[in-house]
Formats: sequence, structure tokens, C-alpha cells
Amino acid sequence: MEAKPFFSRPGGKIFVIWLLMTIIGVVIGLYAPKHLMPQMVSIEGHRAVLTVVVFTVLAAPVAALVWAVGTYSLLAWRRGAPETPPEDGPPIRGNGPLTIVWLIVTSFLCIVLLVWGLAELSADTAPHSNALQVDVTGQQWLWTFGYPGTGVQSRTLVLPVNRPVQFNVTSEDVTHGFWSLSLGVQIDANPDVVTTLLATPNKLGSFVVRCSQICGIYHAFMYAPGKVVTTTQFAQWLQSQGASAAKADLAARVTP
Amino acid sequence: MVDVTARTDEPELDPGSPPKLVGFIITAVVAVAVAVVLAVLFWLQGYSSPSGTEVARSVGTATVNGVTLPHVTLSFQTYPDASGSVNGVAIHPGGNPSWPAYGMTNEFQVPAHALVTVTVKQYDSGGTLNNPWFATVRGTVGGVATVNGKSVQSIDPNDVAHTFTVRGTPGTDPGFFLNVPLLAVGGNNQSDNGPYNTIVFSFVSGSKGIYAWNCEYPCGTMVAGFGGTMGAYGYMSGFIHVV
Amino acid sequence: MGRDNEVTTDTAPGRLEDTALGPQAGGLYRRQNLITGLLCGVVLAVLGWLLSHALVQGSHWGTDMVVTVTMVCWVLGFNAGMGTFNAPIRWALGHDQSDEDLLYAAGVGQGAKRYWKFCTDHKVVGTQYLVLVLILFFVGGGLALLIRTQLITPHSSFLSPQTYNTLVTVHGTTMIVATIIMVTGPFTNFVVPIMIGAKDMAFPRLNAASFWIVVSAVPCLLAVFFLGGVNAGWTTYAPLSVQDPPAMDTFALTILVFVTSVTIAGVNIIVTVFTMRAKGMTLGRLPIFTWGSVLGTGLGLYAMPAFFLAMLLMITDRATGTSFFVAAQGGTGWLYENVFWIMGHPEVYVILIPPVAAMLEVASTFARKPLFGYAVVLGAFVAIDGLSILVWAHHMFTTGYAPDLSGPFMLTTELISIPTGLVFLCIIGTLWRGSIWTRLPMYFVYLFLWNFIIGGVTGIYLSDVPADEAFHNSMFVTAHFHYTLLGGAMIAAAAAWCYWFPKVSGRMLNERIGKIAFWLIAVGIQITYIGMFWEGFQGMPRRVAYYDPIFLRANQMATGGSYILFLGWLVLLYCIIHSWRNGAQAPANPWGGKGLEWKVPTPVPLENFLVEPVVTSDPYGYGEPETNGKPEPTEAPHEPELVPAMVDEVPAGGGEL
Repeated sequence: MEAKPFFSRPGGKIFVIWLLMTIIGVVIGLYAPKHLMPQMVSIEGHRAVLTVVVFTVLAAPVAALVWAVGTYSLLAWRRGAPETPPEDGPPIRGNGPLTIVWLIVTSFLCIVLLVWGLAELSADTAPHSNALQVDVTGQQWLWTFGYPGTGVQSRTLVLPVNRPVQFNVTSEDVTHGFWSLSLGVQIDANPDVVTTLLATPNKLGSFVVRCSQICGIYHAFMYAPGKVVTTTQFAQWLQSQGASAAKADLAARVTP
Repeated sequence: MVDVTARTDEPELDPGSPPKLVGFIITAVVAVAVAVVLAVLFWLQGYSSPSGTEVARSVGTATVNGVTLPHVTLSFQTYPDASGSVNGVAIHPGGNPSWPAYGMTNEFQVPAHALVTVTVKQYDSGGTLNNPWFATVRGTVGGVATVNGKSVQSIDPNDVAHTFTVRGTPGTDPGFFLNVPLLAVGGNNQSDNGPYNTIVFSFVSGSKGIYAWNCEYPCGTMVAGFGGTMGAYGYMSGFIHVV
Repeated sequence: MGRDNEVTTDTAPGRLEDTALGPQAGGLYRRQNLITGLLCGVVLAVLGWLLSHALVQGSHWGTDMVVTVTMVCWVLGFNAGMGTFNAPIRWALGHDQSDEDLLYAAGVGQGAKRYWKFCTDHKVVGTQYLVLVLILFFVGGGLALLIRTQLITPHSSFLSPQTYNTLVTVHGTTMIVATIIMVTGPFTNFVVPIMIGAKDMAFPRLNAASFWIVVSAVPCLLAVFFLGGVNAGWTTYAPLSVQDPPAMDTFALTILVFVTSVTIAGVNIIVTVFTMRAKGMTLGRLPIFTWGSVLGTGLGLYAMPAFFLAMLLMITDRATGTSFFVAAQGGTGWLYENVFWIMGHPEVYVILIPPVAAMLEVASTFARKPLFGYAVVLGAFVAIDGLSILVWAHHMFTTGYAPDLSGPFMLTTELISIPTGLVFLCIIGTLWRGSIWTRLPMYFVYLFLWNFIIGGVTGIYLSDVPADEAFHNSMFVTAHFHYTLLGGAMIAAAAAWCYWFPKVSGRMLNERIGKIAFWLIAVGIQITYIGMFWEGFQGMPRRVAYYDPIFLRANQMATGGSYILFLGWLVLLYCIIHSWRNGAQAPANPWGGKGLEWKVPTPVPLENFLVEPVVTSDPYGYGEPETNGKPEPTEAPHEPELVPAMVDEVPAGGGEL
């Protein structure tokens, strides 16, 4: 029995379509998230971008497979749109081996995603000793940030670079969402509870804190400007907000 | 193979006949769509700004930190009863009687990069802020406000009736921030035409755009005192248009 | 396997719908219709308002108790006026409805008027649901247009912030209500009893009741606009919703009423499928759409009561001073969030499974092949049902509630992608080497394949906790669920509407207009929701009336796309109405389908079959040697075919499971 050349069989043609679509998907994955998402200023933020890139690249071949078969079905097996139904196709009711292979491959992909996610999660939540404490208070419709030990309370969030920060977040009234995409943080501010979150800014720059949980009429205005500055600038800023020089230096000190 | 011509016998005008059923569909869809549009329009007009925009009045120029800026004045009041009227003019047309409200409007207009001097007449009683940070005057010229003639940097957080808290909206001058606590009228004799405290302060307006202000004292009802008047646009919240 | 399903004819004399009924048949039903329903509802609501107003001291017109009582009176009054309560009241009085009354209730002798009344014929109820769903979609879609119009510029003065928040809330809830019933309302009711060889649903009066109950909920939802608005989004998180104006009470009541209707309908569907199948219709021969309806509504029976509970506790917190959700008094908003999402996640599968199952029927018919992997699809649906119960906290990854549970919920959420993937395998397996007949319903199948992959993959991003911290409550989430619910479920539903339209209406859809609608919708979806993904990537939060100017381009793209999309749906609506009036007469089986619904004539007679059919195979016998790939007759047979003598071997009730 003479075997047809690979690329003239349905499988071969589908492979070509699949390959093209996968390449497009991978290129989109490598380019779009980094280009569209804002500049990241923390380790967690960079990790989030990496996750989006990796997941897009991994998803591309899977999506391409479904789309390639769909596309090929329209190219090769299409019978047009006559008034009466066309001739029946072959009575294929299933394919046991194919189903099992599909099940195994998708389960494997699922495990890969899960392991990635768990690893990232444990990295994001690993406790840091001597993290800078920042109290975040949300209320309708403003954020205020407190730096315990310095007596400073401000509506802008200023952080020293390369120092882990622990945010202690709460609300005065309803549930708000403390969220900064560039800083790679999001956690709800709940009334009468303090929730905590860690981040380590690692790049100088500015970021915006936006409220992500709808909280009433001015939800859209509930945002605060933020900056990642050098340690010296951070100490100076604390003093300008009323902290004593000693307390400012204490707060700014990098973990030895 | 198979005969697909239309049936030669016309179906009797039986219960499921198309024209009458389609009438049902069209009528129902149009009626409901019209009803919803009307409801939304009713709603829309009811919640636009109640009384137009208060435009700041020009009073010449002033010098701040060595820079000469245009100088304008603005005034508004805070009343305990939105359904009341002052000199025959309704404070908040259709207003809810148990709700405090800013008057006579909640929309203001000031020029950009100008010195704005604001005079507030505060007629309402008050209580304790839920965040004492707002009892401090921030963002004004000199960091002070004049309360009944006396210059202060903050007031007692247990004696606040309302605050005038302004910030830039997203993309508009994020650094701009103004907070002035408004002293409460003591006792229980507050009324729209009763005793009041006078608070005067000045600030330098930012660049062109829209700035949102709201009160940060929980003078409303329900959860945390931020429901009722606090949660209804046009009573304890509004916009400053910087042009 | 072997012979096709057999049925009988409608031209035999003595049609049931021609039965002459006595002048008193139907009793009170004779005088009840939508007008009496509205009148009774309004009158009772006014009475309730007056009474509660008088009893609640110092009440202003809008206090929570008054609103709640008024709306409850509206619902009860409307349904009493429609005749929903006639049957149980007569039974309780010992004067049960007679056969003549039941025939009247089924619409005999009333012509088109029966569509405005309490009518128990499942086909009438199905058509009524179809109209309701169309209305809900256009109302909800109109609200969406208002929302997108506000977002054309970063700070538009088109809407005040409160109006915008309310629009967002009502748009969301209208769409959720509409998508839950968009296939199970019209098509499970109309088609499934015929598909399984039954005369009607198991509980026809409950069927009509479920429809009119959900109709009575709609004014409660629209009343939100008149009572101060709801600021909290369709998820109405406490404590914000406890703080909201009295409109929140009528909102909560809408949900209570809606869940009642859905529960009734779900019970009806499940009992029908398990007890009313014709001889030979074993569970293994059931069309996949029947299974999809059962599994979708069955999941709803588990999930929707949680919504009911959350809203009930919300009403008591607001109107009677309990503190389930108010932290200052000992409650917690987290309780609300958990109960809500225990409903909220299974609910998206309640929305998704029936349309996808319907779409599988379409794929099979238009590829002229059996459904690939029937047992696999069934197993996948069951697995999705089961797993969806275990994933709810992935909506709460960023709430700060139980951070230790992030890992386990991430696991269960990512596991759902496995059965979903199997469903995709079966779709492409059905297309494989098929005879692809590219009529209008098939267009929607391909669009589903495109859209749902995008929606599903972006859901996987959100299931990863750190990525969720980046995107939760941003427009990325909005784009994800619109791709899955609109691009996936609604498109699958559109395939179902186009597929069964000839059976329901007796006309063929005008495919030229339909294709214009299709392309507008297809292009509109991509532009709108890719624009929204862009907004999300940039960091725009959801439910905001004003935004940072850096999001301007993305918003312009999404708004422009939304206009195209709405236009597409309008053209589809026009196509449906135009075809219903002027379309070519549809033969009984225009698609050469093999299910029982294609064996009955169009229009379908009352009680569907003159003689109960005997089923000898499943409806996927395309290309099988026994039928020799012979095309199905497009007309129902005019002579009753002989029933085979082997009928004795098949016990009544459907045979083996």
C-alpha cells in the first residue's frame, strides 16, 4: 500500500495550518503582554508579566490545534449550502485511543500550569523578616497610607527600592480593592479586618494605586499616586511629612 | 429524491399561525424597549446636577510665593436639610428632608492655575470623623484655614460637620489634593437658616480638567454612615471644572 | 440500532386542538390574561404600599420594608391575576380542575390569544420564553450601549456616577437572568418533550407558572432605576449593598423570585426527562441536548438556592437590622462573598452547558455525522458539574480570605479545563471528515470554536493566583467572561435558535439577512472584547465611569466594537421577525435531522404525537449501514407506519437505563 506524502494528507495539511497559527500565537504572546502592560516596578509585577507571556505561549499550540482542524474542515470537507442536506459523512462515533491521548496530554499541561502557579504563589507569599510595614486604609473614596513608627500618614504611597514591603490593609467602611498593577499587588480592604500582602519594589519609577472593588459613586476616583525612590530620598520624604530624622532613618534602613 | 416544494394545502389559520404571533412578539419587544428607555431617561434627568454650575468670580490678581496668579472667589454652604430653601430658592430641588446637602449646587468652575479663595457657611451639626486624618487642613495656601476668623491647621476630629475634600480625577493632576474640615454647629439647633460657622481658605487650582470632591464625614445613613446622602450623587459629592 | 424512530401524523381527523369545549371550561382562566395580571399586580402593590407605609412608623416613601412589601405584593398580585395559583387553590378547595379545564388551559380554542395567557402547552411556554429572552437581551444590550457610550471619553458628562453604577448593575443582572434561561426556557421547553417522545412536560401547569413568575420579576428589576439605584454591580457585595438606597431591596426581591422560577423549571425538566420518555428511549439514546438541559438545570438546583439565601440575608440586614454582613455589628462581608460565589461559579456552567449541548446537536446535523464521543461528552458534562461546585473561591483569591486555600482552589479550577478540553475534542471530532453543510446554524458553531478558546484560555490566566492579583476586577476579567458567555454561550444559543427556528415558527430563516447579522456579530465581538483585553492589560479597573486618559484608545476600540455588535444583534432580531412573517414555509424536517422533533409535522400538534412513538436507535445514525446514508424525508409521513410486532419485548417506561 503506497503511503501518501505527509503534506498531502489531511494530517499534514492540518499540521501546516497548526504550525502557522502557533507561530502567530507565540509571537503575540512574546510581544503583546510586555507592550500593553505598564512598566513593572516590583519583583511580583515582573513575575506576573512573565506568567502571562508563558501561559500565552503554552496556550498557542492548544488553541491552534482546535482552530486548525476547524479551518481545515471548512477547506477540505465543506459541501456548500444547498437546500437539501449533503451526503452523510462516515459514522465515526468515537476514538478510544485518541480520547485517552488527549486526556493525558491535557492533564499534563494542566499539571505544568499548576506547578508553575504553585511555585509562583509560594515565592510571592514567602515571609520576609524586617519588611517595611505600611498600613493601607481605604475609605469611601480615598486611600491613606501610614508608616507605623514614624507617625507619617499620607495619601501618596512612597516606597524605598529593593526593600520588601508588607502592606497591612483595612477599610473604614465597605470593601475596597487595594490594587496596583505596576507594583504587582492586589488585595481587598475589608472593614474591621486587616489583610496582609508582600511586595518588593525593585525598580525606580512611579505607579498608581487604583481601587478595584466597586465601592460606591466615586469608585473611579479612588486612586492614589505612588513612587519607588531611593532609600535616601525615602528618608527625606518621611521627614518632609513630619517624621523625626531618627525614625525616618529607621524606617528606610535596608535589610542587612 | 425528496420533494421539498411548499405544501399545497394552506395551513388553516390555526392557533400557531405566524402573523398573529409575530404581532405578539413585535408589540411586546417594542413596548418593553420603550418603557425601559423612558425609565432610563427619567432617571438620567433626575440625577444630573440639581442647580447648574457655580462659576468663581474674578477679583483681580494675587501673588503667591512670588508668582502672580489670577484671583477668584467662590462660595458655598452646607445645610442640614436638603429639602429646605434659602431666600426662596430651593437648596436641592426634590431633595430628601433628612439629608444634609451642599448648596446651592455641587458643580463649580474655576480657572486653571489661579488662586481660589473659598468662603463656606456651615449650618450643620456633626460628630466624629471615622478617620482623624481628615481633621487636618491640607493643600491650602499656608496649610491653614480661617474658622470664624481664627486661623487653624486642624480642628477637633470629634467636632466635624463635613469636609471639603478634593482630588484630581484619573489623568488630571494626580498630585493635587485639598482637604478642609468644616466645623460643626454645636447643640441641636441646626437649621438651614440658623446659626453657622464661616470657614475661609485659599488654594491654587491645578491644570485644566475635572476634579472630584466629596465629604469625608459620615453624615449619611446605613453602613459606616456613608449611605443615604453620602451615597447619592449631588448631595455630598460633586465636581470642580478647572477651565 | 437500526430502524429510525417512528411517528404518526397530524392530518388524521379529530385533532386535539379542535376539541369543542363547553362554555365554562377553564373556569377563571377564561377571564385571566396579561391585562388582569398587570391590574391585579398593581392593585395589590398599591394596597401593600399603603398598608406597610401606615404600619412602619416614621417611614419615608422609600424605606426598605415598604419597598420589600410592595414588591412582594406586586409579584403575588401579578401571578394571582395571571392564574398561576388557580390550580392549587382549586385542589385545596376540593374542586380540582377537570379534563376540560386542563384542555382549556392548554390553549384549545383560543387562537393566538393563548400566548397572552397562562397556557400549559409546552410549545406555547417555549415560544413565550423565546420572546421574553429577546426582550431581556435587547433591554440589557441597550443598557450596555449606554455604558459604552459613557466610556467614549475619559471623563464624560453623559451619565452621573450613580446612574452609571446602576446601569452596570442592571445590565449585568438582566444578562445573567437572560443567559440562564436563553436555551432552557425556549428550547428545552419546546423541543425536549418532543425529543424524548412525550406529550408535554411532567408538570405543565408548573411550566406555565415558571414563565409568568419570571415575567413578574422583570418590573422588580426595572424598578431599581426609580428607587435610587444600586451602586454595587450585579455581584452586589456586602457591605456596600447593605449601604445602598432602597433600590437594593427590589433588586434582592428580583433574585428571590427569579430563583423560584428557575427551581420550578429545573425540577420540571429533570422529572420530565427521567419519567416521560417514550418506549425504547433509553437514557443511552437520549439526544445530548436533553442531557445538557438536565445537567445544566440540575446544577442550577444546587447553586441557585445559595443566591436566594444571600439575597434573603441581604434583605434582613437592610430592613430588619440583622448583621450577617456588617462588620461593625459582628458580621462579615466575606460571608456574603462565599455564599454568592458558591452560586456564582456553578451558575456560569448553568448558563453554558445547555447551549453547548444544543450546539453539539447542530454540529452533528450539519456535519452529517454522529456526535463524536457521546459518552465522553456526557462524562465531561458530569465532571464539569461536579468540579464547578469546588472552585468558587477562585473569585475570592484577592479578598484576603483564607490565603491557605488559594492553592487548593487553583488546583480545582485548573482541573476544569480537562473536561472542557474533552468537549472540544468531541466538537472537532464531529467535524472531522464530515460533510460540512454551511447553512446559517453552522456558522455559529465555528464562531463558538473561535470565541470560546479565547475565553477559556484567558480564564486559565485568572486561575493562576499571582496573575489573578494582576488582573482581578480589571477589564481583563470583563473581557474574559464576555468572551465565554457572549462569544461562547450566546453564540451557541444563536446556533440553537437558527436550528430550531423552522420547527418553532414554521418558517425558514432568511439566511441572507442572517449572514449579515452573523458577520456583524462576529466582527463586533472581536473588536469590542479585544479592546477590553487591551484595557485590562493596561490596568483599567472595571465598573468605573471615568478613567485615566492612557486607556482612551482601548476604550474607543471597545465602544466602537459594541455599536457594531449591537447592530448585528438588531439585524438578527429583524431577521427572526421578518422570517417569522414572510419566510418560506418550512417542511417538517428541513435539516434532515434524525431526532424525534424532526419527525413531527410543523406546526407541531397539541400533545405532539397521535400515537406514542417507539424508539429503536439514538438520533445520530448518520452514515450508518442500516440507513444506507439515506436522506431523511423532509415531510412527516402522512400515513401512520405499522408498529413492529417486537414492541412486546420493550417494557414500558423506556427500557433499560
